[in-house]
Amino acid sequence: MRVIEKIIKKPWPYIAGGIILALLNITLFAFSGKPWRITTGFLYWGMGILEVMGVDHLDWHYFTVNGNQLSEGKTFFNNEYTVINLSVMMGASIAAFLASEFKWKRIKNRKQLLFGLVGGVLMGYGSRLSFGCNIGAYFSAIPSFSLHGWVYAVFMFVGAWLGCKLLFKFLL
Amino acid sequence: MASSKIEELKRKRQLKNKRKKNQVIYGGVLIFIGIIIYILLLKNNFLYSVIWIIGLLIGFTLQKSRFCFTASFRDPIMVGSSSVLKAVIIAFIISTIGFAFIQYNAIGGNTAIGYENIPGKIAPLGIHTAIGAILFGIGMVIAGGCASGTLMRIGEGFALQMVVLSGFIMGTVLGGYHFEFWDRFFISRSKAIYIPEYLGLPLTVTLQIIALCILYYVVDIYQTKNNMMSI
Repeated sequence: MRVIEKIIKKPWPYIAGGIILALLNITLFAFSGKPWRITTGFLYWGMGILEVMGVDHLDWHYFTVNGNQLSEGKTFFNNEYTVINLSVMMGASIAAFLASEFKWKRIKNRKQLLFGLVGGVLMGYGSRLSFGCNIGAYFSAIPSFSLHGWVYAVFMFVGAWLGCKLLFKFLL
Repeated sequence: MASSKIEELKRKRQLKNKRKKNQVIYGGVLIFIGIIIYILLLKNNFLYSVIWIIGLLIGFTLQKSRFCFTASFRDPIMVGSSSVLKAVIIAFIISTIGFAFIQYNAIGGNTAIGYENIPGKIAPLGIHTAIGAILFGIGMVIAGGCASGTLMRIGEGFALQMVVLSGFIMGTVLGGYHFEFWDRFFISRSKAIYIPEYLGLPLTVTLQIIALCILYYVVDIYQTKNNMMSI
């Protein structure tokens, strides 16, 4: 019982996180045939919102190439990305509540809001070009032995370096 | 006056601690909801139910271990600490072995079978990969979180990450909208490179693990040299 309490209340070392996440990604891959991916789910949500707003977009080039079209019986909201993205958020909430770490954190100022929004847009746009985010084009791509994962890692590092320069200049 | 202020602070802290204790109940409620959703999914779609459980565990692990891909790139640059990056490398070593078994199981030694038949995340490599990665790298540092980190922080109650998520959604839609341009000039002219097609699966796995071990070693040396935290 004390062990369980310790696991739930105390933070875990990074290495433990890495090992467990790798095993979970392997399990997901073995069960569903696809490794962990996130951002295509964000695109689907965006397209779903556009659909609700009445914007016609099914003729977009994106959905005609690279196997990007929705598979049979799936919609922009009813798909495996929605399932995993919601469950990741909920899992994090459970962990935070059990450790009594959950806290509504407000946005500090307008600058932070702007940086968050712009950063989000940059990540979203970038993820379309490179066929995934830090999960799809990196965490799941390098173990898939696809060279683009390694190239992605190198240039994400370059981007992170540029981002740090921007942070130092404008935010700190 | 001063003492009353101190009293007030004490009271506030006590309230905070009380609130802290109460949170476990919410966790229990969420677990209950999670199980109900699991049962509902199990009835309708077995695969979704499995994904649901794995997702919950991923979220739980991300939160508990503060596992942040952004930090794994940002910290070595900003503060010279690479403990997160080392954990990422360990994760890569393990998943390299696991993914190799899954791929071997699916295609055997037939590595030239065509990318659409190989399970995993194999995508065209070209200038678009580099541009996308740079944009993503800048974005994740200034937004203070990557895709998985954003999801995790929303779960923890961060309002900023809700903004990041909306930006993320807008960005993906914009990228999807512009995709024709990138596809015409870059993506359709490049091809995916599946390393085992050239080296075979066993050699690729061996080389990749060696490369990751060397990387771990280099990063470890870099840390002991540059860690500002330890000074």
